[in-house]
Amino acid sequence: MRYLIRNGTLVDPMHRTTTRSDLLVSNGLIEQLIVPSDTQRIADATAEVIDAQGCFIAPGFVDLHVQLREPGEEQKETIASGSMAAAAGGFTTICALPTSRPSHDSAAVIEHVRAIARREGRVRVELIGALTRGREGSALADMIELAEAGCVAFSDGGRTLADAGLMRHALAYAAALDLPVLVHCEEPRLSAGWAMHEGVVSTRLGLPGFPSAAEEAIIARDIALAEATGARLHICQVSSAGGVALIRAAKLRGVQVTADVTPHHLVLNEAWVLGSLGAPSHAGHPAWLDPTLLPPYAPATRVAPPLRTTEDNAALLAGLRDGTIDAIASGHTPQARVDKECEYALAAPGINALETALGLLMGLVRHGDLDLLSMITRLTEGPTRILGRTLGALQPGTAADLVIVDPEHAWRVDATRFISRGYGSPLHGQQLSGRVMLTMSAGRIAYQHAGFAPAHQL
Amino acid sequence: MTPEPGRRRHVIDLDDVSAEEIEAILETTASMKEVLSREIKQVPALRGRNVVNMFYEESTRTRISFELAARALSANIVNFTARGSSVEKGESLVDTVRTLQALGADIIVIRHSQAGAPYLAAHHFRGAVINAGDGRHAHPTQALLDLFTIRERRGQIRDLNVVIVGDILHSRVARSNLWGLTRMGARVTLCAPPTLLGPAAYWRATWPEVVISHHFDTALADADVVMALRIQKERMQAGLLPSLREYSRAYALTPERLERLGAQTLIMHPGPMNEGVEIWPEAVVAPNAVIEEQVTNGVAVRMALLYRMAG
Repeated sequence: MRYLIRNGTLVDPMHRTTTRSDLLVSNGLIEQLIVPSDTQRIADATAEVIDAQGCFIAPGFVDLHVQLREPGEEQKETIASGSMAAAAGGFTTICALPTSRPSHDSAAVIEHVRAIARREGRVRVELIGALTRGREGSALADMIELAEAGCVAFSDGGRTLADAGLMRHALAYAAALDLPVLVHCEEPRLSAGWAMHEGVVSTRLGLPGFPSAAEEAIIARDIALAEATGARLHICQVSSAGGVALIRAAKLRGVQVTADVTPHHLVLNEAWVLGSLGAPSHAGHPAWLDPTLLPPYAPATRVAPPLRTTEDNAALLAGLRDGTIDAIASGHTPQARVDKECEYALAAPGINALETALGLLMGLVRHGDLDLLSMITRLTEGPTRILGRTLGALQPGTAADLVIVDPEHAWRVDATRFISRGYGSPLHGQQLSGRVMLTMSAGRIAYQHAGFAPAHQL
Repeated sequence: MTPEPGRRRHVIDLDDVSAEEIEAILETTASMKEVLSREIKQVPALRGRNVVNMFYEESTRTRISFELAARALSANIVNFTARGSSVEKGESLVDTVRTLQALGADIIVIRHSQAGAPYLAAHHFRGAVINAGDGRHAHPTQALLDLFTIRERRGQIRDLNVVIVGDILHSRVARSNLWGLTRMGARVTLCAPPTLLGPAAYWRATWPEVVISHHFDTALADADVVMALRIQKERMQAGLLPSLREYSRAYALTPERLERLGAQTLIMHPGPMNEGVEIWPEAVVAPNAVIEEQVTNGVAVRMALLYRMAG
């Protein structure tokens, strides 16, 4: 199938340019960029035309860590549903954490999951190998075997490897294999029994806290160990201002450390746990969102690490702007209804994030907190570099992984109509602007927004 | 959850109850106390209404208090007690609430070990919900009975110095009293070792006037009311306290401290007490101790709420 994408604006994070250009796609590749005035002359009638008027076209987004739940917890998500949700969010590559059951801790599991992904994946699905056997934190996984099986990174998912000695050995192995280690930073003794961020709101609501210090302590430890071993350390979903400062200082020293942040940690904060108990015009949230739509103690707001404060939101944004934070990841963590429709502290942490990530980020762009090019860079070039690859995108001869976004498209989040199977969106009912109209993965249309009916002949 | 004049749907905390409404509840409480002083301690106000006591956490005192209150108003009351609630998942709470609704419950009284559980119940229930204590979050009927007791004894609440001492961090009683006392114009001091209190800024962001103290003797100097909270032995095992003996020396209502209190200074405790830890036997029986009156007033306060919500 050949497609001609017309009338859009290309956002190119490699060259940091935005240009008006038409795009010809064929055989899964970008065949040609065409100056719009030449399109009539060059393009032939065999291509289907996609009219991207008013939209921008960017390389498909790369998500460094999602939980796909398959195999083992298919009631929460499957590779099919998760990758479809990813396509709807503009992601053309997603990296699955080893949080399935069994976890990605042997070549056999990797082969099995890869076969499912090939068959059912709507976008590219990369696999992250477990750092320790069964993600149990007591013995290293067979890391060489996992690397040979094609894992793009190592991680124990949402668990911190509490044993610092074992962590050092894991980093040494990863360094030798030249693969990044993705870490969740939480000192378990400081976060025991936690329900939310420790601070003003947890004090008011009487909920046990996860202090920022619990994150910072492990970030500091792992930076020291990365420095000692030469490993490529990647901090997943940093949430605290102190964490950003530690990463910034380490980068200045030349440590090989990178970091990502999620849209919800950038924009939402502890006021969302108050829900309707908070003031409607609370200074702690952007005017374009309204946390008082939620009931108090809404389990959809429970996420690990927890939503923190407005000061943390600001520090994360600053880190994103100055390059301390290299990437934006969705942190997609779908949960079952029973695990989200319950008492707050008993609710499973995690936000169903793939389909709202772009809408939240576009809110930041719209309100001048983030420029569009930086946002796209952190969704594409940043994560690709962390995986040790070079983003070759929107150039003739490269894979046609791309997304068409209408930045003005206003929509109301309806979590009951998510493509993802999982529960847990604090954004249900919120009004967002900016939506994916079409996602192309390897030259095939992986997602097309209802009402975006582009295809006709030239 | 916005209170309508004269009638409110739920009582989950005092954060959404104005000073005027608290005043009105205390007035109603006085009338109910009069009812309870009669030989026939019953009025027909809630005849035919179904009240369910949902106790996911055992509390004989509060459960019986609600039960007597409902019976004094001629309501039908049923007790539901679930044990092992810490492993109980919300699915069962939501399901139970829906079932009780189908069975015709009008009012649910809920006690739960998890903060916020009453909001979850209220979200899935068309009737009224009264919080009988949820985790560390709130215990509004306890705070109201404390306010009633203080006002009855001291004639006012405004401008009194109230010292709450003990395990503030884990206390729903402290939080609900903070809302109630500050709204009624009292000056509140929270006194505890740092590990049972947390940073002052965390409290002041919500209750700007509250005084945070780690030194009980200083806090006591001009106290009109001292409210001691129970210290659980688990706090010591968790490393939050060096020893109960040291705690007692620094923060208990001991005979020595009793000597230094003004004759009018009320001694309060929400119970159950650990005598010899946070409060010594001498303080429990002191003439200005009102601990038993608190229990007595609890029934009248709960009657007042049930009456105002469904009467």
